[in-house]
Amino acid sequence: MLHQLTVPEAFAGTIAMLLLLVQLSLFRSMVIAEFIRVYAIQAWLVAAICFGVGVTEGWAWDLLLLAVLTIVFKGTLLPRYMQGLVRNISSRVELPARINVLASLLLAGALIGLAVLTSIQLPLHQGAFLPQADLATALSMVFVGFLVAILRPNALAQVIAFLTLEDGLFFGTVTLAPGLPFIIGVLLLLDALVAVVVFGVLVRALVERHDAAGIAVFQRLRG
Amino acid sequence: MNAIIATAIAVPLVLAFVTLLVPSRIGRVCTAAGGLVTAGCILAAVVRTAAGAGPLDALSAVFLLPVAIVYGTVGLYGTWYVRVEAIGVDGDEAYRREFLALTNAFACAETVVPLLTNLAGMWVALEVTTIVAALLVRLQGTENALEAAWKYILIASCGLAIGLLGVVVMYAAGTGVLPAHYAPSWTAYMSVAGKLNQDAVRLAFMLALIGFGTKAGLAPMHTWLPDAHGAGPTPTSAMLSGVLLSDALYVIVRFAAIANAAAGSGLTLHLFFVVGLLSLFVGAFFLLQQRDLKRMLAYSSIEHMGLIACGLAFGARLAVTGALLHVINHAATKALAFFGAGRLAARFDTREISKISGGVAVLPASGTLFAFAGLALAGLPPFGLFRSELMVLSGGFDSGRWVVAAVVLGLLVTAFAGLMRWTTRVTVGSPPADMPCGERDVGAIASMFLAFAVVLGLGLFVPPPLRVLLTNAAAIFAGRQ
Repeated sequence: MLHQLTVPEAFAGTIAMLLLLVQLSLFRSMVIAEFIRVYAIQAWLVAAICFGVGVTEGWAWDLLLLAVLTIVFKGTLLPRYMQGLVRNISSRVELPARINVLASLLLAGALIGLAVLTSIQLPLHQGAFLPQADLATALSMVFVGFLVAILRPNALAQVIAFLTLEDGLFFGTVTLAPGLPFIIGVLLLLDALVAVVVFGVLVRALVERHDAAGIAVFQRLRG
Repeated sequence: MNAIIATAIAVPLVLAFVTLLVPSRIGRVCTAAGGLVTAGCILAAVVRTAAGAGPLDALSAVFLLPVAIVYGTVGLYGTWYVRVEAIGVDGDEAYRREFLALTNAFACAETVVPLLTNLAGMWVALEVTTIVAALLVRLQGTENALEAAWKYILIASCGLAIGLLGVVVMYAAGTGVLPAHYAPSWTAYMSVAGKLNQDAVRLAFMLALIGFGTKAGLAPMHTWLPDAHGAGPTPTSAMLSGVLLSDALYVIVRFAAIANAAAGSGLTLHLFFVVGLLSLFVGAFFLLQQRDLKRMLAYSSIEHMGLIACGLAFGARLAVTGALLHVINHAATKALAFFGAGRLAARFDTREISKISGGVAVLPASGTLFAFAGLALAGLPPFGLFRSELMVLSGGFDSGRWVVAAVVLGLLVTAFAGLMRWTTRVTVGSPPADMPCGERDVGAIASMFLAFAVVLGLGLFVPPPLRVLLTNAAAIFAGRQ
């Protein structure tokens, strides 16, 4: 018998699907400004899920506050800062891809399948906001974030891939562990802020030295 | 919070701000004093814990000791480093202040990690160490430093992201079993370990091992480590190798303890074997072909982390106790080795092994102590690492895992060959004819003698309070406490 979705479940499911679709669009983006837009959209979607869980949990003030902070920082301020970085180097930024879009999407699809297979083995239903797909979505976003970082060898693109990966964690934290998010959520926000600043420092230094934000210059050290 | 512990955290935290504001000649003295005060506080807390009156549990106490040893000696070493060696791209005062401030901030974050039993808190503290360490690694401003910092922050951040997923899955496993909106503390999980969903706990441990294992330098997630250790300032390399790796390992051990208690030790031990043997393999074979002094020590760190993982994997009490003792021995020995390598590299103006010879003749104290550090890292008696390696291997053979123990022994012999080859290359022989000989840098030499005292002391004698702590910490790992 088919499970009748409740309104919160349908809402969360829609947001989860949109988050993944938006992240997948990173494979076809050729301009760094599009990457930043994708990150901003994802931040608004994550804020929406945070708001939804906050309402479902009886208007939990911490989650509602977190939603607002997410919109302010991740949805607005950080994208603007990154746009500023891009403006300075935009004429020299290239967004290469190691493989074509179709192959990238096929790989991403395989990873999402792996995430779904892993998560259905785990009966983590109690207390979860999105019982059937929360862990699958979080894992998928982490996997796809890694894939983007691997397939788009550009410093700024990798920053954004990492940040979208963090959005997956944010989603997982809010839906899987509704008692946990405030501390973690605020720190993820701070983490994103500091990470962008640190990455920004490095990217600027790179650009000064090499006139490009590609990582091809990072070939001296071999691990 | 206990006053001693609060002091151990507050001193480096305050110094992180103070050293940014005062001249570096004052800042370096403050940092040296702060390091010794913090080390004293930690030792006092650890001794009280061993006596059953302390604010910590045994596992926290064991993993705090590397902080005491390394930060206590790094401060002293820094008095020489900041005066002579701390020359960035511009060679200015700002660089020195920044170095001292970041070093103290790094020490503060590293002190906090083993004090925490809240899994989310541990993640936060490790995240802070990542950011501060990345800034330290890029401080020298060279292309290598920039690249190493970039790799470090990217790989470590991704690792921590996976680690956070482990925290979240563990939290989800506790939902319904523990009260709503519970704090994800280790003690809470242990109190209901039998009721936690076993598959979820196993997945959480796997994610933690991969995620935090990245920061612990365990293969195959180790690729940031040789670059960061090689490119960072020497005191930073000592703190990365001696403390940061063990801090990350501490978090993994906490997860493993929950997994052992909730789902049995089968999976945790197998996974520890996989990453342990792989790390030993990578460390041992890359040691054979190193050309850079500090990168050689970095690969030695990977090898020793692998040995610790194997010791935990053997599961026998002797092996686990040995592995935990190895954490302390490795911290002291690696601090000594990096200090010596930094002194040699500064005098010879290169880190290339082929261009350094006669280190003992050129730097009688530092060169000799570096040679001892090399012998200790290779696992020779009478040093502490020999004792702990012997305990791990004996425990391995006692546990009936003959094949694995034999493989571990073989890889240790391989690492021994690499370390002996390069250590003898740089310390004995004739120095270049125009190389000035002798040294008078009291702070640096004192720091090395302090570290050496621990390296030798723990080889000759394990104090009873430490034995008690190691035994209790091994019981915690097994999920029995």
